[in-house]
Amino acid sequence: MRIKGILFLLIVAVIAFLTGYFVTDERVESNIEYQASLVNEALVEIDGFRFDLFDLNMGWDRLQVTNPNNTMMNTFETGKTEFDVEFWPLLWQKVIVNNVQLTGFEMDTERETDGYFEIPLDEEGKAEEPSFFAEITKQVTGKVAENARMEFTDIKNDINVDSLLAMVNIQSVDKMDSLKTASQQTYGRWEDTINNNPIEDRTATIKKQAESIDLKAIKTVPQAVEQVKKIQTIVKEADSLKKEIETIKSNFQTDLSQARAGVSNIDNWIQSDIQRAATVAKLPEINAQNIGNALFGNDLLGDFSVYLEYIAIARKYGSRVIGTEEEEDKPERYEGKNYSFSDKYDWPALWIKNVNLSGKTNTDISLAGAVTNISSDQMKTGVPTVFNVSGEDANAISLVVDGEFNYLEEKPRETVKATYAGFSLKNSRLSPSELLPYDLSEGTGQLSATINVLGKRIDSEIRYVANDLEFDFGQAENSGDRIQTLIRRAISGTEKINAAALIDNVDGPLKVKVRSNLDDLFLDALKGTVTEEVNKAKAQIRTKVENEVEAKREEVTEFVDQKEAELRAKYEELEAQVNERLKYIEDKKAELEKKKKELEEEAKNKAADAIKKKIGF
Amino acid sequence: MFLLLKYIAKLLKALASEASPVQLAGGFVLGMIIGLTPVFSLHNAFILILLIILKVNIGMALLAFILFSGVAFLADPAFHNFGIWLLENDSLQAMWTSMYNTEWIAATRFYNTVVIGSFVSALILILPVFPGLIFIVSQYRTHINERIQKLKIVKALKGTKFYSIYKTVQRVRG
Repeated sequence: MRIKGILFLLIVAVIAFLTGYFVTDERVESNIEYQASLVNEALVEIDGFRFDLFDLNMGWDRLQVTNPNNTMMNTFETGKTEFDVEFWPLLWQKVIVNNVQLTGFEMDTERETDGYFEIPLDEEGKAEEPSFFAEITKQVTGKVAENARMEFTDIKNDINVDSLLAMVNIQSVDKMDSLKTASQQTYGRWEDTINNNPIEDRTATIKKQAESIDLKAIKTVPQAVEQVKKIQTIVKEADSLKKEIETIKSNFQTDLSQARAGVSNIDNWIQSDIQRAATVAKLPEINAQNIGNALFGNDLLGDFSVYLEYIAIARKYGSRVIGTEEEEDKPERYEGKNYSFSDKYDWPALWIKNVNLSGKTNTDISLAGAVTNISSDQMKTGVPTVFNVSGEDANAISLVVDGEFNYLEEKPRETVKATYAGFSLKNSRLSPSELLPYDLSEGTGQLSATINVLGKRIDSEIRYVANDLEFDFGQAENSGDRIQTLIRRAISGTEKINAAALIDNVDGPLKVKVRSNLDDLFLDALKGTVTEEVNKAKAQIRTKVENEVEAKREEVTEFVDQKEAELRAKYEELEAQVNERLKYIEDKKAELEKKKKELEEEAKNKAADAIKKKIGF
Repeated sequence: MFLLLKYIAKLLKALASEASPVQLAGGFVLGMIIGLTPVFSLHNAFILILLIILKVNIGMALLAFILFSGVAFLADPAFHNFGIWLLENDSLQAMWTSMYNTEWIAATRFYNTVVIGSFVSALILILPVFPGLIFIVSQYRTHINERIQKLKIVKALKGTKFYSIYKTVQRVRG
């Protein structure tokens, strides 16, 4: 044994220990911050990071995750957090965390500094396609904006339609002009094709060739055979011409149908101009659905968008990490091949088995709960991510959020249920709509949301229940506004409101329905008065728009009708001429074959007679 | 060229040194294992520790490492095939599974065809190489060393400037 060697090893071990002890924390911290910021697309900051390689314990005093859409806010932050990491998986470059104790969890907190993070150029270009959730949120936001435009109580009886149309910018006239130009080009092209078509000349040529075959001049079978061969070549050419004609005919029909389809769209274009003018004039459709939208759409759909954002984040991060989970590369030949004798090391790159969290909301509800099985590859863990967090404040206002992010099957599935209950409605308004401009003097509310997303199918319900309501009509009691009076009368006896927004695309395009028990009350109150005014204003707009576009419609329709008729006539003439020539060729071929047969028969008979003569019959 | 001369000189010196043939052969076989198997493997860390704490000749280990790294480069396909044979051998499956399920053994990456193929090959090679080398060293010291020292090329080698520098450096190092 070498004593010096042993001493050398001991010194190396001590240096390694000291280096690990003093240097690792900072290096690991900055590395984690950098990688997490890249994923988050905004700064992720860790304060007081510690990493103990010997105890396999990791933790921090504070973590802030910046909201990428507002870098002065954190999406969430945590206080003191401890991780319990498994040792062996680290040798396989996998991080398996058995337990996380996470305290001081808070969402939507303000930042002291800007959390903007500039993604280095070499890390860019990994942007994903606009997500399905962004598309749904856009559609729902559009619906919210539509609600904001509706006015039910301020319908103008004398609309200045001229100035309204100037604002609307009637688009159907331009569209009809474009249609006419496009049709002109199409018809011009076909006119050219029909007038200068080589088919006419080619059919004339082959007809002449067929005519040059004189049946009377054919006296012998070899002559007939020779002429049959000639006609067969002509027929071959005729067949190819026939095919060309059929292709041209099919293209011709398609182009004419397209031009005709454009004409049939004119009514839709005019209709959308009328609809847009009605929207600009803020003329609502008076029905229960629109009233529901106007009353509660903004709030309920706004909430829905927020929940959807969180699910989108989960799927984005889930799928991003899943996407980068490295498939075991096929080893290069002499790197050898790895064998697996059990699935013991088939870990995902990251698996946090359990997170116990505690914290509070921005309305001071103390939260506690657990999140289990956060992993970079659920197929390897075999379990979905499940979360359940709940809490209550001193006034018994409660919040419960639970759900599951399941990426075990072919289509990702997210389920989230949230209930926020017991909050006071005193001195607040039930709706931002002008239909319900009254404060409440009493009442408690409950907001619940259920969102189920399977792949690109979404099925969700946001429900808002307000109990023990008392409206404070205050000064409005003395107002002479007849619609408001009707509304007050309708809702004064209401103690409970139950509103729900149903958003789904289970049967096709996204449907957004907002209904409440107030809709019918309002509908009855508004029907007699507002509907009549709205209809009158709409009729004015319709007449004006139709007057504006009628001349153009007639011009385009007439142009299309006339040009189409001209072209069809020309084409039919060409077709008839070509068909007549082709028929001549066909007939000539039949005659020639008949003649050949006759000559063959004749020759056969002559031969038979000659043989009979020879043998003395 | 200088390096080559240096190693030849070192080899000759080691062969003629006071180190026992067992120490020379021990260093050689340990270097051979590191050379034949993928360098950054856990078992090589263990071999390295053995090299440091055992009284084996490190010069011979270095020589064997360089020599057998070249051999391994050419022999890797054979190690790979041998590894496949070993890892797929039915009678060994129970042992492999048990080893695989023991984390610290699995950390050696024995389940890789080249690792296991080269390692087992190296172990097999120890059987002839270790006693063979002891024998060769003994024979060298008894019969060949004196004659080698008298060879013109060796004398010429010792007369070169490089050799005198080398000796000076060696003296300074002690």
